Amino acid sequence: MKKKTLCFLLAFAMVTASLTGCGNQSKNEAAPTDKTDDKADGSQEEVSMGEPVTLRIAWWGSQERHDKTVAAIELYESLNPNVNFEYEYYSFDDYFTKLKTLVASDEVWDVFQLGGNFPQYMDKIYPLDEFIKSGVVDVTGISDANLKTTQTTEGVQLGLTNGINTYGIAYDPVLFEEAGAKLPTDNWTWDDYKEAADLITEKLDIFGSSTFQTSDFIAGCSTYIGQQGGLGQYGFYNLDLTGMGFDDPQMLTPYIRMRADMIKKGSYPDAGASAEVTNIENDFLVTGEAAMTWVAVNQFPTIYDVCKGQGRTLALATIPKVTPDGNSGAQIQSSQMFCVSQDSEHKEAAAKFIGWFESDVECNNILQAERGIPANEDVRAALSAEATEGQQIMYDYVDMVSKLPTPKEIQVLTPSGHDQVVDNYLNYIQQVVSGEITAEMAAMKTYADAEEIFK
Amino acid sequence: MDIKSTGSRKKLRSKLSIYNDVVVGHVFAAPFILGFVCFSLIPIWMSLFYSFTDYSLGKKEAIFVGLKNFAMLYNDEIFAKSIYITLKYVLISVPLKLIFALFVAVILTRKSRMVAIYRSVYYLPSLIGGSVAVALVWRQLFARKGLFNVILEGIGMDRINWFGDEKMALYPLIFMAIWQFGSSMIIFAAGLKEIPMTYYQAAAIEGANGAKKFFYITLPYLSPIILYNLVMQTISAFLTFTQVFVITGGGPNNGTMLYALNVYNQAFKYDKMGYACAMSWVMLILMTLITLVIFKSSRFWVIDDSEA
Repeated sequence: MKKKTLCFLLAFAMVTASLTGCGNQSKNEAAPTDKTDDKADGSQEEVSMGEPVTLRIAWWGSQERHDKTVAAIELYESLNPNVNFEYEYYSFDDYFTKLKTLVASDEVWDVFQLGGNFPQYMDKIYPLDEFIKSGVVDVTGISDANLKTTQTTEGVQLGLTNGINTYGIAYDPVLFEEAGAKLPTDNWTWDDYKEAADLITEKLDIFGSSTFQTSDFIAGCSTYIGQQGGLGQYGFYNLDLTGMGFDDPQMLTPYIRMRADMIKKGSYPDAGASAEVTNIENDFLVTGEAAMTWVAVNQFPTIYDVCKGQGRTLALATIPKVTPDGNSGAQIQSSQMFCVSQDSEHKEAAAKFIGWFESDVECNNILQAERGIPANEDVRAALSAEATEGQQIMYDYVDMVSKLPTPKEIQVLTPSGHDQVVDNYLNYIQQVVSGEITAEMAAMKTYADAEEIFK
Repeated sequence: MDIKSTGSRKKLRSKLSIYNDVVVGHVFAAPFILGFVCFSLIPIWMSLFYSFTDYSLGKKEAIFVGLKNFAMLYNDEIFAKSIYITLKYVLISVPLKLIFALFVAVILTRKSRMVAIYRSVYYLPSLIGGSVAVALVWRQLFARKGLFNVILEGIGMDRINWFGDEKMALYPLIFMAIWQFGSSMIIFAAGLKEIPMTYYQAAAIEGANGAKKFFYITLPYLSPIILYNLVMQTISAFLTFTQVFVITGGGPNNGTMLYALNVYNQAFKYDKMGYACAMSWVMLILMTLITLVIFKSSRFWVIDDSEA
């Protein structure tokens, strides 16, 4: 499978290169006969500085990200007057709906953002390797480990990561103390977690933890699998993304049972309540209706600042473990990356922008690590020197997690069809809550749904 | 007239000119025809083709898979549930909406200067009803700490977990549908005006009371209009999308997974356009059948004006 993709990419690169040669010869004729010919021809033609270039770029995210990214783009435009941007931004779901239609019509934006679901869009990514080799994209400040987060297993550089990320649990220590619950430690277990959450609900009549959305699967359920067995023995999907990473569906059962019990007890919000949380800024932790919540750590500074404004100080804890001395299951991963598209007529200009976006200190001073911790060491040093309290906690946390023992190789990507597995997983838990099915059946069904992807 | 009195060349020109009735007709109809063909007819036939393929957005070629998509529907739990939920939604919301619309229309037939204003006011929800903004307001009203729960607590009752409880979640949506009774009401009101007053006067002389007048004169006379409203509202209820998409997203546990939302999810969220097309065609057939049943049954309860 993987080899095929690589062959295809290489073949495509060669065809593109050879077509470029042809293209240049026939350039004088105004009407190009072949569409690919025209495109390939453009890819190398517009490189020379000074020629006006229009780049289309798109991303998903929150309003804060939109504002910051637009400001960064405007900075780039002022530094490179010949480059003009047409930018589009969306919410996550809308972004991918739009991307899919553009994929179908071969009109993907020159620069586009992709997350762990990139395997679906492999055909549309133009690898950066040639630009790194030619020096258009400077990656000297980015460590090999960080470059690896956006490579295929064969080492093809698909894009540059916009930020390094990992999951954690943000919590309000004061609420814990009020309820008399034990504060999270680096080695706390899911039992500790549940006990604390239940106690908080009993004593304070608020949710112990929030929220019952997709992060429950990513940070909770799939991490739970990685925490079992030896280091790197299990993962939800296997390393090649060709099948499941564990054999026994019942490995999911304890987690599903805990989840259902907590929803029943009221220490975890049900689907209806969770639907009221539309973004991290109105999470129940922020509104004071919960004592903990999942965060991708790049979200932490935002909610830290909001809660600071209310006179509360949040803290960040690791994801609970199965046993105190077991695997952490923690994964340092790329939050998302920017890629150059195969459809781009200005691939080099696009790649140059991506290189600048990830490595320029001034640019990242605008972005403020909102997409995750910068992969470039210089940028990271510059930013952490002037970090706010919330950002400092985030930097320290990621440093701490990156020192935890992690398996050599981890699978953080998701195959096409994964979204449906997660939606069904959330529904099965609700069915366990209502007594329709048992936790064991929910585990079997979730496993069967995920297995179905690979058939 | 012009054509008759002039020579053949001029005759030809004026035939071609836009003053010709046929040409004018086509010119005016062209935007609709064009729009209908491009945005309805062609996509409809394409979706029929795709329903036999494994097409997904972003894929270049669609592989023919025969009836596989339709066969898959048999084993799809969410599909079965969405049909059940949609039927429940239609069967409860449409009759209630029509009864309410008729009720308000009858009240507003009284001769009063305020009637026009009342009608406009009651029509408002229908104008804005399908919008995202109203759906967002609705979501807030029924939230855990929303207005309705505050009122319930205020009168000493327990809060209701509207959107968290699978059994409750559909009712706020049904309530919202009923609230948008305006367009049916206007049509009923127009129909009520057409009933000759002499019938009511004659009935009054015979000693009929209000209820009798309503059941023996108003209802039979309105029956063709009830039929029209019933068909139109049933179809639009089957196609409800915005409200569930915004308010509940189909949850909890697919308890509000209306058919249109399920089709959307399959097509755009789960990348199964071919499957979604197959589902759309099943819905088309289902709706055609239901409409047909309504029309066939109308023979027994709709009284044609000419017969009366």
